[in-house]
Amino acid sequence: MKIPAAANQRAATATGRHGWRVWAAVAAGGLVGTELRYGLGVLFPEQAGAVPWTTLAINVAGSFVLGLLTTLWIARPRTAFWLRAGIGPGLLGSFTTFSALVASVDQLARGGLHTVWLAYLVLSVLLGLGAAAAGWKAGKAFAGNAGHP
Amino acid sequence: MTAALAAPLLVGLFGTAGALIRFSVDGWLAGRPSGRRHWPWATLLVNIAGCFVIGISLGLSSRLGGEWHAALASGLAGGLTTFSSWTTATVRLVSEGRHAAAALNIGSNLLAGLLAAAAGIALSGG
Repeated sequence: MKIPAAANQRAATATGRHGWRVWAAVAAGGLVGTELRYGLGVLFPEQAGAVPWTTLAINVAGSFVLGLLTTLWIARPRTAFWLRAGIGPGLLGSFTTFSALVASVDQLARGGLHTVWLAYLVLSVLLGLGAAAAGWKAGKAFAGNAGHP
Repeated sequence: MTAALAAPLLVGLFGTAGALIRFSVDGWLAGRPSGRRHWPWATLLVNIAGCFVIGISLGLSSRLGGEWHAALASGLAGGLTTFSSWTTATVRLVSEGRHAAAALNIGSNLLAGLLAAAAGIALSGG
């Protein structure tokens, strides 16, 4: 069966048993990503009833970096898997959060703040996708330039 | 003082557990042979689970200590769910011309996530 190159790469990286190095990298990345997100929330507390700007910024920034690294790593498949796993699913996966977005939308909607939850949801989806797309293109351009100096 | 330290420690511990569970689900689903083209099922699954967990934490917030609420919400639910994989996978589907699959990815995560959070809140008496 012919598998697209991108899907093939993903399957190859995700199948089989991972070594201890991969699990350790995901755990370390998960710890760092979680603490960064938690720390930013402490430094820039979100106000009840308003758009949670800290979470929005975290999610948009994380989307840009993951998009960038994804195309960069597709162009450079020899990057060590433990490193990709530690930074991608580990650090960036834990740094960004979907549950906080959904919980805030739920709570804002229950509070009758319909303009606020709608604005937050639309901003999250549009800016998040835009950032991932921009990162995706930037990674491609960067890999292309590096490959053909 | 201990309470001030307990929250970041518990959040880190629970967040790491969430990341490891998410990575396991991803590996488990990606490792299953399938004739179908890739679609981010693993991310949908962990996002639903994490939204349920944060719903539980919201429902229990009056009965939980602040550090345990943070451990469940910022730690476990935050580590389990991911926003960046969701957006990046959507961009990838678009780059492959699979616009319907991309739209379905956006809609299903949001809808199922909101339902899961509401279910968690209702079940925990919130």
